[in-house]
Amino acid sequence: MRSFFRIIKFALQSMMRNFWLSFVTTSVFLLTLLTINSVIVLNVLANASVKSVEGKVQVTVYFGSDVAPDTVNGVRSYLLGLSQVKEVTYQSAEEALSAFREYHRADPVILAALEETDGNPLGQALKIRAYNAADFPFILQALETPEYSPYIKDKNYSDYSSALNLLSGFSNKVRMGFLALAAFFGFIAILIVFNTIRVAIYVHRDEIGIMKLVGANDWFVRGPFLLESIFYALIATGLMAGITAAVLYTSDTAIREFFAGVDVNLVSYYQANALYLFGTQFAVLSLLGLGTTAFAMRRYLRV
Amino acid sequence: MITFKNVTKAYPPNTHALGGVSFRIEAGEFVSITGQSGSGKSTVAKMIFAEERPTSGHILIGEWDISKISRVEIPALRRQIGVVFQDFKLLPKKTAFENVAFALEVAGVSSKRIREVVPRVLKIVGLGEKAHRYPRQLSGGEQQRVSIARALVHRPKIIVADEPTGNLDAITAREIMELFTRINDFGTTVVLVTHDRDIVNALHKRVITLRDGKVTSDAEKGKYLLA
Repeated sequence: MRSFFRIIKFALQSMMRNFWLSFVTTSVFLLTLLTINSVIVLNVLANASVKSVEGKVQVTVYFGSDVAPDTVNGVRSYLLGLSQVKEVTYQSAEEALSAFREYHRADPVILAALEETDGNPLGQALKIRAYNAADFPFILQALETPEYSPYIKDKNYSDYSSALNLLSGFSNKVRMGFLALAAFFGFIAILIVFNTIRVAIYVHRDEIGIMKLVGANDWFVRGPFLLESIFYALIATGLMAGITAAVLYTSDTAIREFFAGVDVNLVSYYQANALYLFGTQFAVLSLLGLGTTAFAMRRYLRV
Repeated sequence: MITFKNVTKAYPPNTHALGGVSFRIEAGEFVSITGQSGSGKSTVAKMIFAEERPTSGHILIGEWDISKISRVEIPALRRQIGVVFQDFKLLPKKTAFENVAFALEVAGVSSKRIREVVPRVLKIVGLGEKAHRYPRQLSGGEQQRVSIARALVHRPKIIVADEPTGNLDAITAREIMELFTRINDFGTTVVLVTHDRDIVNALHKRVITLRDGKVTSDAEKGKYLLA
């Protein structure tokens, strides 16, 4: 244990003596984490937006004006029996007409045509929401039964799928861009850690020789270099957590206002997952640093 | 204590540093190993603290067989041997105290014990008042004393000194040799590697002479022999 504390002391001494190298290494680690956290934030925002748009997708099934309400209720019960269906709302003929008028209130031609017709041309309708937008084709197919299809006049798929695809495609592209950037910074980090340790070995070569001469074991010589890379990861992750907290707390209101109507809460997301997110980032960064340091030691440190 | 049995050392492609060297040094002896440059005397010194391994033959240091010693065992061996070099090998950014303490730190000795032992050893080598000076603030002789203090601090059974007076003037060299004699008087085995005739002749101790990697003379109370 005493030797372990001395290894920590030597690692910290080395970091301080090569302050600018340590600064650059930590900065590149921080840049890598910054891009990774940008991907995480983007992911949360994209998922919330997609979920919000998906929630608006619905299918409206129109029935003929002569269909009895009991038949419509039968279809409703049948639909509610499907595990993919989340909600089925009944709309009477009068409500359908009123909704139609409201929707086309700015189009006098359609409204005039409506006045020409005798009575209410619209029938009852069922508005269907699914748990997953991808299940709508199945639900529509389920209505194609001889028992119900004769009563169904029309099916209107209020299609947000193109918007959904556009949003998903865009967020995927941005995500890929950020991941490529993170990989680039990761690669730069590997090169810089390798060089930092190489320089540290060079700077400490006399000390290492004397350590060996007076009977230091392998781990006493190698330990400080390995710990140094873990300290870089620790400092970078700590700074990243601090920056994330500061940015989120100061911009939370602005983000919510910008994404009005979308249920997005980055602060609570980070609060709930902070340990996992930053723990994983620290672990990955440490492994990256340890691997690179081990490689540099294998190459330059003769113990 | 130290046994060389028919030791050879060859470096590729065809350099033979040692060729069939045999001798035995008993515990508490003071032995000078002499010879001209390239005679193989420094190779002998390096083999004692396992810096080099023999190509053939056996070297026994206490219970360790250097020809078979594993990497893991080397630190334990080196804690039993103090080494002093011509160029002192001190850490310039550490004070005399820290340089000596360093040998104990790497061996896992407690800070309390280090604070007790180091001033005592520095006092033995005559540097009690200069413990907090950096190497650049010390003379060559004083730096070599720090190096000797570092070699002594973990109470080694053997001290190997490879040309310890090579960088010192005659008076300082004599003072350093007096220090080694005192250390030997306390029972520590001293192996002095040197080509300084005056020093060897003044000691009146055992002298092993090497020439071209072979022992040409091994004499009790010997003299430096011209090769």
